[in-house]
Amino acid sequence: MSDTPVDTSKRTWLIASGCAGAVGAGFTAVPFVSSFQPSERAKAAGAPVEADISALKPGEKMTVEWRGKPVWIVRRTPEQVAELPKIDSLLADPKSERKPDELTPAYARNEGRSIKPEYLVVVGICSHLGCSPSDKFQAGPQPSLPDNWQGGFLCPCHGSTFDLAGRVFKNKPAPDNLEVPPHMFVSDTRLLIGEDKKA
Amino acid sequence: MAEFKEISPNASATEKLVNWFDNRFPTANKQYREHMSEYYAPKNFNFWYFFGSLAMLVLVIQIVTGIFLVMHYKPDAAKAFESVEYIMRDVPWGWLVRYMHSTGASAFFVVVYLHMYRGLIYGSYRKPRELVWIFGCAIFLVLMAEAFMGYLLPWGQMSYWGAQVIVNLFAAVPFVGPDLALLIRGDYVVSDATLNRFFSFHVIAVPLVLLGLVAAHILALHDVGSNNPDGVEIKAGPKDANGNPVDGIPFHPFYTVHDMFGVAVFLMVFSAIIFFAPEFGGYFLEYNNFIPADPLKTPAHIAPVWYFTPFYSMLRAITSEMMYALIACVLLAAGFGVLKARLTGLTKAVLAVAAVVAVVLMLSIDAKFWGVVVMGGAVIILFFLPWLDNSPVKSIRYRPGWHKWVYGVFVVNFVVLAYLGVQPPSPIGERVSQVGTLFYFGFFLLMPWWSRLGEFKPVPERITFAAH
Amino acid sequence: MKKLILTLVAAFGVVLGAHASGGEGIVWDKAPSNTNDLPALQNGAKLFVNYCLNCHSAAFMRYNRLRDIGLTEQQIKDNLLFGDAKVGDTMKSVIDPKQAKEWFGANPPDLTVIARSRSGHGGTGADYIYTYLRTYYRDNSKATGWNNLAFPNVGMPHALWELQGQREPVYESRDVHGHQTQVFTGWKQVSPGTLTPLQYDQAVGDLVGYLQWMGEPEQNNRVRVGVWVLIFLGVLTVFTWRLNAAFWKNIH
Repeated sequence: MSDTPVDTSKRTWLIASGCAGAVGAGFTAVPFVSSFQPSERAKAAGAPVEADISALKPGEKMTVEWRGKPVWIVRRTPEQVAELPKIDSLLADPKSERKPDELTPAYARNEGRSIKPEYLVVVGICSHLGCSPSDKFQAGPQPSLPDNWQGGFLCPCHGSTFDLAGRVFKNKPAPDNLEVPPHMFVSDTRLLIGEDKKA
Repeated sequence: MAEFKEISPNASATEKLVNWFDNRFPTANKQYREHMSEYYAPKNFNFWYFFGSLAMLVLVIQIVTGIFLVMHYKPDAAKAFESVEYIMRDVPWGWLVRYMHSTGASAFFVVVYLHMYRGLIYGSYRKPRELVWIFGCAIFLVLMAEAFMGYLLPWGQMSYWGAQVIVNLFAAVPFVGPDLALLIRGDYVVSDATLNRFFSFHVIAVPLVLLGLVAAHILALHDVGSNNPDGVEIKAGPKDANGNPVDGIPFHPFYTVHDMFGVAVFLMVFSAIIFFAPEFGGYFLEYNNFIPADPLKTPAHIAPVWYFTPFYSMLRAITSEMMYALIACVLLAAGFGVLKARLTGLTKAVLAVAAVVAVVLMLSIDAKFWGVVVMGGAVIILFFLPWLDNSPVKSIRYRPGWHKWVYGVFVVNFVVLAYLGVQPPSPIGERVSQVGTLFYFGFFLLMPWWSRLGEFKPVPERITFAAH
Repeated sequence: MKKLILTLVAAFGVVLGAHASGGEGIVWDKAPSNTNDLPALQNGAKLFVNYCLNCHSAAFMRYNRLRDIGLTEQQIKDNLLFGDAKVGDTMKSVIDPKQAKEWFGANPPDLTVIARSRSGHGGTGADYIYTYLRTYYRDNSKATGWNNLAFPNVGMPHALWELQGQREPVYESRDVHGHQTQVFTGWKQVSPGTLTPLQYDQAVGDLVGYLQWMGEPEQNNRVRVGVWVLIFLGVLTVFTWRLNAAFWKNIH
């Protein structure tokens, strides 16, 4: 090296360019990563869905698709509604106290987990790993079900069971009750799934 | 394990980590030294030497934006056009990814043409770099195929009809033509089958080939060392104490930093186009391509994308009239070879017979076929450049002054041919492109003769370098 | 050598630049530039939904994108949605394509990107549409009763005739390039519309502005972002230039 003083310009510009380059790279990455987010089409497809329940008879279930998921509307008989409080001791979360904001809107925080006791509205996806449980509305002993079975749902994948209010039984792989989606009655015969009356 | 390098236990954690890695993958550091920190490139690179690294940058941009586009694009004739508009409107920032890809395609050709021109003027294709040039010509050919197939994907009117016309060119080949076209299309006309296979080629097959060729191109270059604007071999000059050419400097950090500046300027131009004029007057995104493909209705005016138009002009220039001019050229060349050139009697006989066969073929086969031959030939002739150039001097700097005018006319001619290719056919346009085609081929085919004419300037022993 | 190339290119450019743009139809007027004028765009959206959407779809345009021109979802639902369309849906028309082809000779094309596709030598796509919507005239020899100076023998009737009224073109015999030709010199208003000519031109200007915006809703945002990007890159260019100079300073 010669006797000239130490040259700091290289370092200065290296740092300046390095910082500017890093900032630029960051700003460039943002649009690309954002393009992963749900598109407008996906968001529009997630819009609320109407269901006509006029033909639903007591003891029957109908399914509508909302946001790609099955939503069950079960018209419970008065007997089925009456049985619900009696099995509280068999359930993991009978009062729906776990994750209320995610699973049970305010108008469903009751024994039947519904607006009207007659109509149960739940998302038909098991809270364990996402399979769709099968209907087991018949009461009494059956394979994979206890002898005092009152009716509900059985998930075929790993054996979790849910009652006719979508509440999960104790000691099953599924940790949570079935999700009650936002919903409201636009009339006595029409349900709107995906939207509710905000208090 | 015996070859593992030991490191002092007092070394820092970073040094130990680097040592661990280096013991198991010495190639990494070895290649870095061979191709970056100890690759000695000539000091005197100028403006024309930016375009190689820029070409690599554009390749990366196209691959990355391409990956993101494929997440949303649908390669189905019924859904393709819609999926592109979906990207433009419904995908967050999709419009930016799309514009980067469409502008990048045109930018690729601008950069590659300038990069090739550098090779032309400085004699970078000459011994010992002939293979670097050949790999480069192969890249050019493959790039044209990639761009052509990519252009079908938006499934607009230009996409569809451009593909229809070009695939039909293959049908012009005698005997196997129609079957060849059927094989390429996968159907009797350009259809969903064509779209799907072009998608596969454009997204994976051809990019892999391109990456392989680029690697070969750069490795072959590094094996023999880079040329420079003076055409003086730095390896033949004096060496320093470590055996490195005195007229060279390590690529890293000097040219990495130099190229970063080139990248910044390029990105400014690139971004200005993307954000302020993505259609670029209808040259980068053609207006007709905003109409979904309609197999029943051809647009009034089809032209290939601008980067193909010089060759398209040459294709259109070959009319039955032009065939007579070409036949005359063949006869002249053969006549000269037989009467004036110093060749053996056998060679002259073969030449005469070949000329007669050629003329017979040119009279019997349609001009349409010869148009395809000329268009293809215009690209293939580039491969032969190292053997056509007979100049005693490599770089244009030391050639006779008037050679510069010849190169200048070549460039203007190329641009004029490009312009004419975009226009609809016209009588004047036809004449000018015919003259232009003859000049283009004359430039190359007569190069063994004209590259040796004139007073050459003495080539210096050392490169000319002006301190920055 | 660079100067030589530039001179030659310029010379050729001059020689070859002067070629007739020819083609069908009259010279296009310039459309007003109003893609930043939100009230104009909103008026254009209203006209589009009321007069165009019956036959033409805009299948790639979502209703809720109209938020970008200053409308709320409620305003869109109340004023611009017809039938059972939802605000997240795309603008589809309800016309049956087969019937449309029978009636008009061709299925009315989708208009989402019409302003981008109609650009040409005569001007931008917006210029063309602006001219087209203002050069309809009564022509009883046509099935629809209408013809158009910008698109002769068009199959589309004058959708906006109630606003513009009925007009006929006036021709004058003039000597052009040595022979007598009929030259278009102006319009004759046969029956009035609900708008004055000036109001009609403004309405069409708004509609065309809307079509131009709908062709690329991101356009205003694109330019805004671009300004910042270029400023940043300018700074980066200066930094890399000085960095390069710092390294090469000592190379001789």
